[in-house]
Amino acid sequence: MAQIAMATGFILILIGLYGALTNRNLLRMIIGFTIAHSGVNLVLVAVGYLSGRTAPILDSAVPMAEAAERIIDPLPQALVLTAIVIGVGVTALMLAYAYRIYVTKGTLDIGKCRELKW
Amino acid sequence: MVDGISFIAVSLGAAFLLGMLRDSWRFAAYGVSLATLAFLTWNAFCWTKGFAVDGLVPIEIFTAGTPPPFAVNLRLGLTESALLLLVHITALLSAIYLRDTLMQQGRRAMSVLLVLCMALSGIILTRDLFNLFVFVELTVIASGGLILLSQDKRALGAGFKYLIVSQVMSILLLIGIFFAYQATGTINIDGMAEQSALLFKGGFLAFFLMFMAVVLELKPFPANGWALDVYESAHPAFSAIISAAVGAASLIALDKLLLIAGPDWLMLTSIIGLITFIAANLFGLAQENDRRLLGYSSVGQIGLVMLVLGQKDILGDNYLFVVGGILLAHAVAKAGLFWISGLVQGRELKDWAALRQRPLLLFAFASFIALLMGLPPFPGFYAKWELVHALAAADRLWLLGLMLFASLLEAGYLFRWFGYVIKRDLPEQPLACPWHKRTVVMLALVAAWALAYIWGELSPHSNLLHLLPLLFALAFLVLEPLPAWLKNLLAIGGMVVWFLLSYPGYDPLQLIYGGIILIGGSIIFLASFYGSAQRRLGFYPSAMLMYAGLSLLIVAEDSFNFFAAWELLTVGSYFLILRGKESEPHALSYILFSLGGAFLILAGFALAGLGAGQIPLARLADLSGQTSGELAGWVFLLLAIGFLTKTAAVGLHIWLPGAHAEAETDVSPMVSGILLKAGLFGLTMLLMTMGKQQLYGVELTHVMLWIGAISALVGNLLAVFQEDAKRLLAYSSIGQMGYAVFGLAMMNHLGWMMALMFVINHYIYKSMLFLSVGGVAKRTGTRLMYQMGGLITLMPLSFIAVLIGIIAVSGVPPLSGFGGRWIFYNAIMSDEYRLPLVIIFLAGPIAFLYLFRLIHTIFLGQLKDEHRKLKEAPFWIVLPQMIFVAFLMIFALVPGLALRHVDVYIGQFFAGGPSLNWEGLTITSQFGQWAPIPIMIIIGVIFMTLFLWLLFVNRRAQKVKQFNIVFAAERPYRPETTHFAWNFFAPYRKALGFLTQPLVTRFWETLTDLLHQLADLLRRFYTGNGQTYAVHLLLFVVAVYLLQKGMM
Repeated sequence: MAQIAMATGFILILIGLYGALTNRNLLRMIIGFTIAHSGVNLVLVAVGYLSGRTAPILDSAVPMAEAAERIIDPLPQALVLTAIVIGVGVTALMLAYAYRIYVTKGTLDIGKCRELKW
Repeated sequence: MVDGISFIAVSLGAAFLLGMLRDSWRFAAYGVSLATLAFLTWNAFCWTKGFAVDGLVPIEIFTAGTPPPFAVNLRLGLTESALLLLVHITALLSAIYLRDTLMQQGRRAMSVLLVLCMALSGIILTRDLFNLFVFVELTVIASGGLILLSQDKRALGAGFKYLIVSQVMSILLLIGIFFAYQATGTINIDGMAEQSALLFKGGFLAFFLMFMAVVLELKPFPANGWALDVYESAHPAFSAIISAAVGAASLIALDKLLLIAGPDWLMLTSIIGLITFIAANLFGLAQENDRRLLGYSSVGQIGLVMLVLGQKDILGDNYLFVVGGILLAHAVAKAGLFWISGLVQGRELKDWAALRQRPLLLFAFASFIALLMGLPPFPGFYAKWELVHALAAADRLWLLGLMLFASLLEAGYLFRWFGYVIKRDLPEQPLACPWHKRTVVMLALVAAWALAYIWGELSPHSNLLHLLPLLFALAFLVLEPLPAWLKNLLAIGGMVVWFLLSYPGYDPLQLIYGGIILIGGSIIFLASFYGSAQRRLGFYPSAMLMYAGLSLLIVAEDSFNFFAAWELLTVGSYFLILRGKESEPHALSYILFSLGGAFLILAGFALAGLGAGQIPLARLADLSGQTSGELAGWVFLLLAIGFLTKTAAVGLHIWLPGAHAEAETDVSPMVSGILLKAGLFGLTMLLMTMGKQQLYGVELTHVMLWIGAISALVGNLLAVFQEDAKRLLAYSSIGQMGYAVFGLAMMNHLGWMMALMFVINHYIYKSMLFLSVGGVAKRTGTRLMYQMGGLITLMPLSFIAVLIGIIAVSGVPPLSGFGGRWIFYNAIMSDEYRLPLVIIFLAGPIAFLYLFRLIHTIFLGQLKDEHRKLKEAPFWIVLPQMIFVAFLMIFALVPGLALRHVDVYIGQFFAGGPSLNWEGLTITSQFGQWAPIPIMIIIGVIFMTLFLWLLFVNRRAQKVKQFNIVFAAERPYRPETTHFAWNFFAPYRKALGFLTQPLVTRFWETLTDLLHQLADLLRRFYTGNGQTYAVHLLLFVVAVYLLQKGMM
C-alpha cells in the first residue's frame, strides 16, 4: 500500500514538473506545480507510514506505554501539514503574480516575459 | 541584550501589529517597522559584541521548553549574531532608503519586510532541517512580495521566474529532508551530523537533494538566470537586501549542511563556487546595465564565498576570518553600490558619471570598488592573503590560479566602470539624492572603513590602518576643502619629515630609493604649485597614497607588508594616472597589468611561505635549500614576472606609453621618474635574496638578461618613431628600464652598480624632461612635435633643461649618463653573455636618434606663426627643472657621493668580483679610469673652441626672417606632412620598421577581444525564459550528481 502511494507520489511529481515546464500558460504552470506538490506530500506521508500501526493519537485505545510500538511516526504527518500550508501560500503568491502579469501585459504566456535576459 | 528568540518573535509580532493598524496610519506603521528593525539591530550588535569582546559562550535556545530532537532548537553564537547584525542593519538601512516607497505601499509592504527579516533570522539560528525548509520558503514568499516594490514593470516577469525555480527547489528540499530523516531518524542538524555514516549508507541521494536545494539558493552558475533578472529589475534597496542579507543567510545554511556532509562534499562546493565565480565575472565583462552588472558581481562574490566554504578543511582557525572578511566586504560593498544605483537616474554604466557632482559619493563608490576587489586596507585583502596562502600550502594550485584569474576579470569590469565614472561626460539627468538616501550610503561607507579597521586588528599580521604613511595619505581626504597650495606644502613637508625620520634606519640601498621617492618626490611636487589656485580634488590623496606605498615598500621586511605596500602604490598611482584628460583606457590597462602582476607576486609569496602565513623577505634566500624540485624556481619566476610588469619589460609594456604620456604635467614625472623604480626595487630585493635560480635547467637570470636587452632595443626603437613628445619619453623609459633590468640580471658587482646608476639617473633626467616637455605642451597646447619648432628663444630655460637632459640620457660625456655608460661597459666586459650584449649596444645609438629629434624639432628650426607670443613655461614648472640641472651637474662631477657607499654595500653580495676603486675624484676599474672633473673640463674646452669658431666664421652671415621667402603652389591636403619634423626618421622606419610592429599590443588586444566575445556569446544562454531557467536548474542538478558520484 505504502509502495503504491509512494510510486503514485513520484509519478505525480514528474507529471507536475513536466506540465509546469512544458506549458507556457502561467495558470497551467501553477497547476503543474500544485500537482507536483501534492505528489511530494503523498510521498512524504508514504515514507512516514509504518504498516500495521495506528494513528498517533494517545487515548484509551493506545496507552502511553505501548505508544512507541503501536503508532506510526507522527513527525512526517505534522511536517506534511506545514508543507501543505506553505504550498498554499506559494501558490497564492504565484496566482497573484499571474493576475498582475495579465493586467499589465494582457497575456498569460510565460514566453512573453522575456524583456530581461543576458 | 534581549533573548535570542526575540529575533523571530519581535519581528513576527511587529508584523502582526502592522496588520492591525489602520491603512491610513502610515507614519505609525513606518515608525513601528523602523523601531522594530532598530531594536533588533541593537540587539544583534549587543550579542555580537558579547561574543566577540566579552567572551560569551554560544547559547542554545530550546523552543517548546524541550531539548532536541523533541523540539526545534536554535543556536546563537558569534557567527550567527554577526550575520543577524548584517541582516538587520541592511534591512533597517534599506527601510530608511525605501521611505517613500513604503509610505506609498502602506503597512502590508512593511510587514512583508519584517517577515523577511524574521525568515532570514530563522535560517541563521535554526538547528533543525525542517525548520530550515520553513524559513527558506518564508524567505521565498517574502522576497516574491518585495520584488513588487519596484516601479519597473519587468519585475513581474522576474518575480515569476524566481517563484518557478523556488518551487523546484522546495520540492528537492522537502524530498531530501524526508529521506534523510528516514535514514537517520532525526531532523536535527547536529543529530544528523552525528549519524552521517548512517545517512550516507543509504541516503546519498537524500543528502544530495538537500544540498542542491541550498546550493541553488546561492544562485550558482548556470542555474541563476532568474537571479540576474531579479537584480536587474527589483528596487535597488531590495536588491541590496538580497545580495547582502539573503546571500549571507543562504551561506550559513550551506555551512550547516556541510557540517552534516563531511569532507567529501567540500571540494564539490568549492568547484561549484569557482565555476560560478569565473562565469559571473566573465559575463560581467559584456554588461552595460549597472544593476545587472551588480547582479553578476553579486553572484560571483557569493560563488567566491562558496569556494571558501569548501576549503574549510585547510583553513583551520582562519576559516571564520577568511569567510567573514570576504562575505562582509561583499555585503557592505554590494549593498552600498545598489543603494547608490538608486540615486543614479540612468541605467547605463556611463550614467554613473553623475557621481562626480558629489565628491563624497564618489569616494564611497571608490571605497566600495576597492572593498569588492579586496584591495588594502579592506577586509578582503587580509582574507585573500590567508586564503591564497592556505591554498598554496595545500597544493591546490589550480584552484588558486583560476580564482586569481577570475578576480582579474572582475577587476576588468569594476575598474572600467570606475574609469567611466571619472572620465565620461556628465549625463543630462543629475543625481536624485534626497538626504535620507545619501545618509544610508554614507553609513555603508563608514561600515566599510570600520570593517577595514576590525579586520586589520584581527589579522595575524599588522594592521595597515596603523601605518603612519597610509594614515597621512588618508588624511588628505579630510583636507580636500583646503586650497591646493596649502595641501602641496603639507605634502612636501610630510615627505621630507618622513625621510628625516626614516633616514637613520635606511641601509645604503634603501637610502638611494628612499631619497628618490621622498626627496625626489617633494621636488616634483614643486611643479604642482603651478595652477594651485584650484583645489585639485582627488590629486593629493592619490599621490600621497602612491608615495605611502612606495615608502613602505622599501622598508618592508616581510612578505605581507611588502605586498600590502605594493598594492597601495598600485592603487594610488592608478588614481593619479586616471586624472589625465585622455587617460581612461590607459589607466585601465595599467591597473589590469599591475593587478595581474600583483596576483603573481601574491602567488609567489604564498608558494614561498611553505605553509607559514608570511615570511621575512630574507627567508627567500633559504628557499632553494629547504625545498626539493622546482619550487624555488617557480617562486622566482612568479615574483620576477610580477616585478617586470611594473618596469614595463617588453611583452608587458603596452600600458606604459599611454599611461605616462596622457598623465597630467606633474604626474608624468611622478609615475615615470619614481613609480617605475618600485619594479626595480622589487627585482633588486628578489635577486639579492634568491640570486640565480633555475627552472627545468633554464637559468632564469639569463632569461631576464635577454628581456632587458630586448626591452632596451624595442623601447628605444619605438621611441624613435613617435610624433608625440611625451609618448617619445614614455617609450624611452621602457628602454631605460631595459638597461636597468639587464644590469641587475648580470648578477655581478658592476652590473648592479650600473643598475643603481640608472635608477638615480633615470629619475633625474626623466622627471626633468617630462616637466620641460609638459611645460612646452602647456604653452603650445599640443604635444605633437611637428607642430612645434623654434622655441629656443622663447623658452630658453626649458631648452637648457632638455639639452642637459638629453646629454645625460644619451650617455655621452660629460654628464652623469656617461658615468652610467662607463660602468656599464666595464660591467659587460667582465661578463660572458655576448649576444644580448650586441643587442644592448645596438640600442645605444638608437637613443641618439630620438633624443636628437626631441630637441631639434621642438626648439630648433622655424617658429610657428601661432607660437610667436609664447612665454617661458610657468615658474613652478621650470624651478624643479633647474634643480634637476644642478643635480645632474653635481652628480656628474662627484658621483662618488652617492655611489661609493652603495658600492661597498653591494660588495658584500658579490665577494671577490671586479669592483671599483674610489680614490679622490677618480674612479678606476680593471679596464680603465673615469675622472669626471677632467672630462668636464676637456669637453667644456672643446665646446667653447667650436662655439667661438662658429661665431667667427658666421660673423658675416645675414639673418633671414622667417617669411622672407615666397610660398607658391597649392596648399597640401595635410599640411603637417610637409613639415620636416613629420615622420622625421622615415628612412629608418623603412629599414627597421618591421621591428616596431605592434605585435604585443595586438596579442593583448586579441586576448581581451576574445574574452569579451566569449562573454557576449555565452551570456545568451540566459534566454530570459523562466521555463528554460528551470530546465537549466534541473540539468545542473543532474550534472552535479554525476560529478559528485564520479568524485566519491
